Amino acid sequence: MAIGRTLTVAVSTLAATTVAFAQSQVTDLPREQTLIVENPEGTIKNASWFNYWSVNAGGRSTGLQQLCMDTLWYVDSDEGLDGAWDNSLAAEPPQYNDDFTEMTVKLREGLTWSDGEPFTADDVLFTVETHKNSNGLYWSAPIQINVEEATAPDPHTVVFKLKKPNSRFHIIFTVRWNALWIMPEHVFADAGDPLKFAFNPPVCLGPYKLMAFDPNGKWFTWEKREDWENTSVARFGEPGPTYVAYTDPGPPDKRVIAQLNHELDIIHDVAPEGMFTLARQSPSSVAWFDGFPYAHPDPTLPSLIFNHQNKVFSDSDVRWALALLIDIKAVSMASYRGAATISAIAIPPTGTHPSDYHKPLESWLEEFELDTGQGTIKPYDTEITLALAEQLRASLGDAIPSDPEAIQAAFGQGWWKPNPEAAAQLLEKAGFEKRGGQWYTPDGEPFRIRIVVEGEKRPVMTRAGTMIAQAWRQFGIDAETEVAEGTLIQRRNTGDFDAIISWSVETLGGHPDLAFFLDSWHSEFIAEPGAPQPPRNWQRYSSPELDEIIEKIRGVGFDTEEAVELGRDYAKLMVREMPIIPLMAYNVFTVMDTTYWTGYPTADNPYTNPVPNWANTKYMMTQLRPTKPD
Amino acid sequence: MHGYGQYILKRLGQFVLVVFVGISITFFVTHLTPIDPVETTISAAAAFGSTSPEAIAMLRETLRELYGTEGNVIQQYVTFWGRILQGDFGPSLSAFPTPVSELIARALPWTIGLLVTATIIAWVLGNILGGLAGYYRSNVLLKMSGVLAMGLHPIPYYIVAFVLLILFAYVWPIFPLSGGYRMNLAPRWDATFILSVLYHSILPALSLILVGLGSWFMGMRALVSNIVTEDYVQYAELGGVNRRRILSRYVMRNALVPQMTGLAMSLGAIFNGAIITEEVFGYPGIGSLLVDAVHAGDYSLVLGITTISIVSVAAAVLIIDLAYPLLDPRVKVA
Repeated sequence: MAIGRTLTVAVSTLAATTVAFAQSQVTDLPREQTLIVENPEGTIKNASWFNYWSVNAGGRSTGLQQLCMDTLWYVDSDEGLDGAWDNSLAAEPPQYNDDFTEMTVKLREGLTWSDGEPFTADDVLFTVETHKNSNGLYWSAPIQINVEEATAPDPHTVVFKLKKPNSRFHIIFTVRWNALWIMPEHVFADAGDPLKFAFNPPVCLGPYKLMAFDPNGKWFTWEKREDWENTSVARFGEPGPTYVAYTDPGPPDKRVIAQLNHELDIIHDVAPEGMFTLARQSPSSVAWFDGFPYAHPDPTLPSLIFNHQNKVFSDSDVRWALALLIDIKAVSMASYRGAATISAIAIPPTGTHPSDYHKPLESWLEEFELDTGQGTIKPYDTEITLALAEQLRASLGDAIPSDPEAIQAAFGQGWWKPNPEAAAQLLEKAGFEKRGGQWYTPDGEPFRIRIVVEGEKRPVMTRAGTMIAQAWRQFGIDAETEVAEGTLIQRRNTGDFDAIISWSVETLGGHPDLAFFLDSWHSEFIAEPGAPQPPRNWQRYSSPELDEIIEKIRGVGFDTEEAVELGRDYAKLMVREMPIIPLMAYNVFTVMDTTYWTGYPTADNPYTNPVPNWANTKYMMTQLRPTKPD
Repeated sequence: MHGYGQYILKRLGQFVLVVFVGISITFFVTHLTPIDPVETTISAAAAFGSTSPEAIAMLRETLRELYGTEGNVIQQYVTFWGRILQGDFGPSLSAFPTPVSELIARALPWTIGLLVTATIIAWVLGNILGGLAGYYRSNVLLKMSGVLAMGLHPIPYYIVAFVLLILFAYVWPIFPLSGGYRMNLAPRWDATFILSVLYHSILPALSLILVGLGSWFMGMRALVSNIVTEDYVQYAELGGVNRRRILSRYVMRNALVPQMTGLAMSLGAIFNGAIITEEVFGYPGIGSLLVDAVHAGDYSLVLGITTISIVSVAAAVLIIDLAYPLLDPRVKVA
């Protein structure tokens, strides 16, 4: 017995020692002071490159844009700490003249770079001049197209004279995910060609400075600046973590294991299955929603995008028929295992958009009628997400909210009720014909649709496309998915698709202005078939009515009620015309471990977007507090 | 020796031809890919910001100029060879303007360190055990090792890798989940760093050894099983020559020649990297660099890596070809 006990103790001690040794090998930083975050960019090829402005040169969400960079304004995709809009380096919102040809910026005083140099208007002017004089920087083109001249009447004021009226010029300096970051003049002025300068180590305006990095690009560590009070986020308090590490934890399965081992505090994104595993097995893990669907809905709208240069989709009756064949509940189950936030209108159901657009348009949607050629129908179904929640409750029980308001916040409002009969009538109205169980186009050709999907690289979207193709096929359309893993960008940009699962709608989320994506939908920018289409009108859809809305938005201010009204006009037009079939928000399963840190943003405390590759993560740092303080 | 000189010249000619054809094929294949590095860059640049279509058009023009993707494929092919002959692979298109050679130089030591070590360990162990198993066919322990090797061999590598990872990085987490060394540790030649590198390489190396060992084992056992039936072995045994001496001098030595070829080929192929190993274990190296380059349409980097790989494999074969006549007098060089 004594030998047995001794052996047991020895084996247990050995096991505990080896595990403790293994834990100590994760990092030599004090764990209780270190926040470890996934960098979804993965391994950075040229890790020693920190010159963000040079196109395609180095990592961006290695902590560089979240902790080190800063610019004039931020707009949060959720509520923000003091409203979604934040004057960051600027002391106040942008001031335009009446015809939007001049923008004046007042800068904050008392801010310093991480090397102690003061931040002044000269840094802003230098940033603008560098972009005017160099091609090949990220923001060279927008600056060269817009800025006639930038001047600084005093050290904390900058005046931009624009080449042509632009009521949204400030968006170049406004972070949604990123923006034109301000360059340190005292570093770059003597650095020579800005395209060839590595900016290593970076000099920061944000509250952290670079500590170390792996030359192979697996990790980057940042240390809180001693003078963090001289940075723009100091208004919201001292950042909690002394150290922040950004790492490439590998494929989704490994991210889950890393968090179960408490070696990864924030997972950027996992597959729904990974999220469910963590919800079951890791009591310390939290997500945006306390229960199902857990995920944070990004202000991005995955949709079924038709190629409008393919004449088979030129008739809105055809597009509507295809929409009425989709069972959104089945798509939600197939793609996100039910954890999707759906949207019937072409605006993501996230941030402030439900209150600005989805709810105000609800009664209009309920009354919206569609002429099928053999009658009219009201296709909108307000009960669809309630039914989805009910369906999920059978297996997930209390994880599903029961309050209708909470259900709509989590799963979205309504969508189109599947109606194959009306779809058939619409196709017939458009001149299509069904023979022998197969639909034929007015030209007598089989109605054939190939839906391009990205494959394993984006399984959620791929599963949505597969489910839609299956529904169309069952109806007699020759529909299949085509996997374009690695070539999706090329095919989307050049219009090499019938339909594609992607997104052409991306908004600010926390602000109702839609010009962020909508301006590029103007018909003047549509490329010839086969030529690359500029982002984001991948559907190559043109409409005089839409052009008129876009032109009106250009002429009204960013913060005006008119802009919101015009946004609602856009949403209505999209419903009538159905140029894309909106599906759902891009739900991101960001999972946060509370073993070492608390204060993460959640749906109950939505002070910022939790997805940690967004630059507004800097606000999260001010709210995080250690669970094991010294 | 005159015959051997001619043999060397012939093999060198073949080497040059193989390298030229291999690199040329790679060049045209990479340039036929539908992935356009300029469009990939533009998508990355415009993915999250509000970028006007006019700005995108301007950026596209600038990038075509910067990346040197102007001109037709033949013009680019001629420029490419001009650079290659000077040892310059040009700048990486997905990590512009960092030279391709710098990215490869950063990743290659990890790949070589891991794969050379694991390959040689697997080769030595596999051959010794396989040789013993083929010669001492009635030994129970060696029979069991044969069963184990045959059992492990058909299991797909990624399964072995994942099982090791789950067992030793999750169930009993005594090894790290990923990385080449501890986070926040500065790479330098001191005991802390070297020990951290060795510690992080144990699981990936073990996975490669376990899977690699099986094929060397079975190959050697089959070779030895054939050789032991040869007359000269039978004669030596009947003549009462010590069995250990027969095994080491008569059997293993003859069986090693084809195994040496296999080793050379494996070592040459190391420059392709071990993509699955690097992905599963999050280990740095040239395999994941190649995968990233393919996805980004970075044909400069793809060409750089494949050129090194082609030259390495061809050189390994050349060395073996040149060494054969010296190792095995039965090989005729004329």
